[in-house]
Amino acid sequence: MFVPSNFVSQAITSLRELKGDAVIAVSGGIDSTVAAALAYKAFGTRLHPVFVDTGFLRKGETEQVERVFSRLGIEIKIVDASAQFFTALEGVTDPEIKRKTIGESFIRVFEREAKTFDAGYLIQGTIAPDWIESGAGIRDTIKSHHNVGGLPEKFGLKLVEPLRDLYKDEVRAVAKVLGIEQEGAWKQPFPGPGLAIRVIDEVTREKVEICREANAIVCEEIYSAFEKGEIPLPWQYFAALLSSKSTGVQGDVRAYGYTVAIRAVEASDGMTASYSQIPHAVLARISRRITNSMKDKVNRVVYDVTDKPPATIEWE
Amino acid sequence: MKIFVIDNGSQWTHRIWRTLRDLDVETQIIANSTPLEKLKDVDGLVLSGGSMRVGKGESDACEVGGNNIVYAKEFGKPVLGICAGFQIIAQAYGGTVKPAKTPEFGAVELEIDFADDLFASLSKRFTVWASHNDEVASAPHFITLAHSKDCAIHAFKHNSLPIYGTLFHPEVQHTQNGEAILENFVRVCKR
Repeated sequence: MFVPSNFVSQAITSLRELKGDAVIAVSGGIDSTVAAALAYKAFGTRLHPVFVDTGFLRKGETEQVERVFSRLGIEIKIVDASAQFFTALEGVTDPEIKRKTIGESFIRVFEREAKTFDAGYLIQGTIAPDWIESGAGIRDTIKSHHNVGGLPEKFGLKLVEPLRDLYKDEVRAVAKVLGIEQEGAWKQPFPGPGLAIRVIDEVTREKVEICREANAIVCEEIYSAFEKGEIPLPWQYFAALLSSKSTGVQGDVRAYGYTVAIRAVEASDGMTASYSQIPHAVLARISRRITNSMKDKVNRVVYDVTDKPPATIEWE
Repeated sequence: MKIFVIDNGSQWTHRIWRTLRDLDVETQIIANSTPLEKLKDVDGLVLSGGSMRVGKGESDACEVGGNNIVYAKEFGKPVLGICAGFQIIAQAYGGTVKPAKTPEFGAVELEIDFADDLFASLSKRFTVWASHNDEVASAPHFITLAHSKDCAIHAFKHNSLPIYGTLFHPEVQHTQNGEAILENFVRVCKR
């Protein structure tokens, strides 16, 4: 049986064997926050958490990360690397190349940061689905997770992954033992490559901004429907921006805009998922709010009714 | 109780490991190239699924199929094959595996034909999750334990040996009674 408190003490004991300083990649999500809390107990001030603003973050994400870590009493360094990430992704349309490019860009930032702290280790909140889906040997690559399959072959840091054998539900159980709680709609998985893999096809600042706004609406409306007791809270819910445009009519004028796909799923470990049966009234509210408030950009909203398998939860 | 998981590269190999661990079984994931001699003190084996197309002969290549046939035929103790692992067992005993007429991905309604061993004390009909391109078309020496609308052999057991298989995935969270099925296999290993 998995006993979270035993896991905590074993993880801290093995982290204590590592000498010198470590950089830890944090996103504010549950995996890296739990990894940071564990590592902090072993490393203390020899631990240097780094949060990278990739430019692909959700609305209000940086502020939320600051809140999470100030509650834990751990200091973090925020690095704005968005220019570097957007430049690296110019002209990239293939989702696998996207993910690998993002993984490599992350590592280059951490290498730079490790130098300034004179750190020899990079700690990551990698969990089981990350390395499983990244594939290797006879295991097929479903998608390269930025922190595993996206790592360059050579980099100058020793990698430490204390949560490697855990799934999300187990990480959440460990978080509870450590007193870490996520607030509201932030309590859901969010991939490291962020909105870059929710903007289908080439990533531009304009498209990321549309996706960010639509995503915020989806999250607000679904969370508020949950608070009103209309629906159980899905395991994960978000907006993806499709690459194709379609025709519409707005106030007797022809429109030609983007399509937003709403995705919401039920799962516990993310290795299988079923689409959430969100009532039409809730979907209609989301659709109207997106198409009214974003009328210059989006004139169509669709709901994704596919399970995993055959789909994956994210679109890329 | 020691049950090892033979890794055929499934997305859910580690889920089999997790479920067995949660059932307080001593378990380990091992490569499908592991020699049988190294498994002398193991009480049972689970052959995972994988991306190999058994129905197209891909598992015949030893760098892909490993020692699965040896485990299926010579281990001498309980073996459970899942998905590709199940298909390899069927082939090892003279059955045929072919591309499925109707591949199944995601939820499948399972109907139990014979509530023996694996399905002991479970309901007659429940939802399981599958993800397969190939299927077992015939399996001489095996008794069919369950089927679905589109697939006649979804689970079987050998008529005299403790060899079992399921095409669906009892190890994933979305399969109803999944843990109970694996627990039933653990019970078989304890006999």
